Amino acid sequence: MTRWFEDINEGEVFPLGDHTFTRDAIIAYAKIYDPQYLHIDPEAAKLGPFGGLVASGAQTAMVGQRLMVDALFAEADRLRAAGQEPGVGGPSPGGEKIEFKAPVRPGDTLTYSLTTLGKRVSNSIPGWGVLSNEITAINQQGELVYRAVFASFLKLRGA
Amino acid sequence: MPNSITANRRHYEDLAVGEVIDLAPTTVTKQMIFDFAREFDPLPFHLDEAAAKTSLLRGLASSGWQTLGLTLARLSASFLNSIASEGGLGFTDLKWKRPTMVDDTISGTATISALRRSKSRPGSGIVTIDLDVRNQRGESIMTMTLANLIAVRHPEAVPMHEIPYDRPSGHEGAKS
Repeated sequence: MTRWFEDINEGEVFPLGDHTFTRDAIIAYAKIYDPQYLHIDPEAAKLGPFGGLVASGAQTAMVGQRLMVDALFAEADRLRAAGQEPGVGGPSPGGEKIEFKAPVRPGDTLTYSLTTLGKRVSNSIPGWGVLSNEITAINQQGELVYRAVFASFLKLRGA
Repeated sequence: MPNSITANRRHYEDLAVGEVIDLAPTTVTKQMIFDFAREFDPLPFHLDEAAAKTSLLRGLASSGWQTLGLTLARLSASFLNSIASEGGLGFTDLKWKRPTMVDDTISGTATISALRRSKSRPGSGIVTIDLDVRNQRGESIMTMTLANLIAVRHPEAVPMHEIPYDRPSGHEGAKS
């Protein structure tokens, strides 16, 4: 989150909020980024492996990114309101495992959360640390549909 | 029920490890970077040129997710829409190695690196695809591995290499 590297606690869980996937948003996303019949054609998708339209897995991941960024800004606002200076985040160098574990269908509402699994000082970029963050999403039935682990850069205080 | 959408597409049996699929070039404009970042990744280094100059990326760069999305769009057009795809399982070893800057042209290759039958879905196989995305200078900007389900045309058929070889009686074969 937008704190300084030193202020991040391993194991801390940050709720990222909910997102409902509408049929129109699933189709609009996939027409640009993943134009497969499973994701863009509700009639044809009935013949497919899920018996209906499902969201592109990458869309599930990108919605998680958006909710995480919104949570970063909210945390920065919270710190400023408390009279503290927020930290400085950087880009992500990647992810080790991004899993789409169950289909996301039109009308499904996913609840996302982020857990910091670990942190270390960067070897390659002086003044920065690297976090290992797990992002998960569960649907309205409590089923885990998405799990991923990403690295991200966060600045050291006073660096 | 037979799937009339994918019946004539390539199935699991039709793929081979080592096949290379070219991903057509895409030029990433400033407007594309802004449009994507506003929707999915509104961090300052993807939306604000002044803030981007002082960031780790040293200039306005696209979201890594945008590079990933554009790559999958190309993969759908050139490969996934020509096979009996049953959906993506996920990505491993995703590395954003270099930022994609304004007006960079990205292209790449997708290589089939593994094929195996699904243990949990008897009628499906899993095709593993290594993606290597490069900019116009040939620098690798993103690599990752994608696992995708694909229908098996004849799930009941036993692959030749799994049929035990019974020697004709009386034939001793080569002594090893």
